[in-house]
Amino acid sequence: MMDSQTKAEPMRVLVTGGSGLVGKAIEHVVKQEGGCLEGEQWTFLSSKEANLVDLQQTRAVFEKYRPTHVIHLAAKVGGLYLHMKENLHFLRDNLRINDNVLQTSHERGVTKVVSCLSSCIFPDKTTYPIDESMIHNGPPHDSNFGYSHAKRMIDIQNRGYFAQHGRHYTAVIPTNVYGPYDNFNFENGHVLSALMHKTYAAKKEGTPLQVWGSGTPRRQFIYSLDVARLFLWVLREYDEIDPIILSVGEEEELPIKDAVEMIADALDFKGQIVFDTSKSDGQMKKTASNAKLRRYLPDFTFTPLSEGIKKTCDWFVNNYDIART
Amino acid sequence: ASEEAFKPDSVTPALSGGMGHNSPNLLWEACGSNSLFSLLLPSPHFSPCVRAQMGDRKVDQNGPMRVLVTGGTGLVGRAIEHVVKEEGGAREGEEWIFLSSKDANLMDMGETRAVFQKHQPTHIIHLAAMVGGLFKNMRANLDFWRNNIYINDNVLQAAHEVDAVRVVSCLSTCIFPDKTTYPIDETMIHNGPPHESNYGYAYAKRMIDVHNRAYHQKHGRCYTAVIPTNVFGPHDNFNIEDGHVLPGLIHKAYIAQKEGSPLVVWGSGTPRRQFIYSLDLAHLFLWVLREYHEVDPIILSVGEEDEVSIKEAAEAVVEALGFKGQVTYDTTKSDGQFKKTASNAKLLQHHPNFTFTPFKQALKQTCDWFVANYDNARK
Repeated sequence: MMDSQTKAEPMRVLVTGGSGLVGKAIEHVVKQEGGCLEGEQWTFLSSKEANLVDLQQTRAVFEKYRPTHVIHLAAKVGGLYLHMKENLHFLRDNLRINDNVLQTSHERGVTKVVSCLSSCIFPDKTTYPIDESMIHNGPPHDSNFGYSHAKRMIDIQNRGYFAQHGRHYTAVIPTNVYGPYDNFNFENGHVLSALMHKTYAAKKEGTPLQVWGSGTPRRQFIYSLDVARLFLWVLREYDEIDPIILSVGEEEELPIKDAVEMIADALDFKGQIVFDTSKSDGQMKKTASNAKLRRYLPDFTFTPLSEGIKKTCDWFVNNYDIART
Repeated sequence: ASEEAFKPDSVTPALSGGMGHNSPNLLWEACGSNSLFSLLLPSPHFSPCVRAQMGDRKVDQNGPMRVLVTGGTGLVGRAIEHVVKEEGGAREGEEWIFLSSKDANLMDMGETRAVFQKHQPTHIIHLAAMVGGLFKNMRANLDFWRNNIYINDNVLQAAHEVDAVRVVSCLSTCIFPDKTTYPIDETMIHNGPPHESNYGYAYAKRMIDVHNRAYHQKHGRCYTAVIPTNVFGPHDNFNIEDGHVLPGLIHKAYIAQKEGSPLVVWGSGTPRRQFIYSLDLAHLFLWVLREYHEVDPIILSVGEEDEVSIKEAAEAVVEALGFKGQVTYDTTKSDGQFKKTASNAKLLQHHPNFTFTPFKQALKQTCDWFVANYDNARK
């Protein structure tokens, strides 16, 4: 089996979805935190450069950059309400993106691909905490079944590429990621980023903060920079085909309500907070175990949530004009 | 001689006169305000289909069907063709087109769209797939997954784009969860990982059901699927390495008989299967196309009580071919899944009078066909 990289050659890493939440965090770690080793080349792709739903464009961009390694983040993503409307779109586009990236990587002898799953794809009816062995143990939550099925298939493809071709393609499974460069759109963004934007707007306009849902669902939040540091570790050191959950511990899980209060603190919002219970709550919990990660990295320190929220809110306020809203 | 095998000794009563003389488009049901009804539906993918979207249709609501059958030259496709052409399965004014891979490579979106644009079907029976027996699947799970995902996505999207009213796709009981209670039923498809031997094929086929639900949710499409158990009959792939168990056994027994050697059955012979004759399946496909209005799939199978062991099936093949030699079991070869017992309760609820061709009779017809058509059979 041909490899694109000889033993002495430094890595040429292509990061798909490089301008998104996680991509920007990886770029920060690579460029500002010494994440990049001597001689390595890191390319951060955005959809402007190539539409990965299209095979020809995918091939062309791989031909241009000739990567030895790929961090595959590109996907059609969104928050709860967008998913509920667009399951078909999320299913079809993500199946295509993932197959184009994995197949093109294989054809070009890419040594390693690390793709990105999500804890929202796990079975809905399940015991907790969920762990890496449980991904396929039942249907996902109905709200995002299209996205979930498509993402789960990355794991199936990884197994297939290994069994048929010996490829070491793997995946990580973060819980709810947040940070600078997120999508802060009210309707389509994820919960924390949408809430930050809403709080900012409510403060400006002197109106109450309207939180969709009851505030009781529970989530584990992971700061994008922590995800980025862990991604680099997985790229260099994690050798399994089976995926690995990247998350704070179960004890860090908290209700949306608590996160809302941290955001109000961070933005110094003093107005009224109202919970619109006519809006969907999504899944009540998706508690994931980070035991596997802890076995490998017992000493990894996560950024505390209130600190991460503060940093993200500060970024948002300072970069309001360029933020995706 | 080749068509003799398809002449059933017992005519399935439900299809001989019970289809009604209304407009062939029994699927078009008036239900008052379409959009109000869909607002009331609590969970889209569990609701029956009512009015499908009209869109920019080429055929009016009361016009006859134009049915495109993908995989039309395969085991099931040929059986449907027989029922349509020789048993009055087609109605006045209907057009039936049987596609083969020569007409279009359905793994390619451009070719798929072109063939759909050419024929403008109102209904599709989607049988085309990359398929194979146990040993072929075990060697190539990735290919089975990729090729089938592409075929299915292309066909469903092309169908949607030409505003096809119905698509009936074909799943299989081999895609069900491996660790499960028995009998399996239609609600259990996604309840756990499939058997390791064919996970690529299984996940790709399961995805059809996900697509169907998503097309219904987004566009109101009534695209559905059937789930047959092990199908057998004339026009199968009788290749010993790549074919399914019964045609593989038939071919092996034929050769063993010719060469005076023992019949070597791969595996222990203990796994159990429900076998359904392709002709019976074809009749049921037509019923589903015309009468079954749910997006959720339906199992098409003989009852649980008709499950047989591979050993019993091998003995039936021996009897049908008049094989007199020794039968041995090579237990070094994989058995595959031990059982996949499926419930046909839903089918019986919808279609209580359907009669299956008895197994030995169907097997005899298949063996006779194989012997008579040895030179042309796929092997």
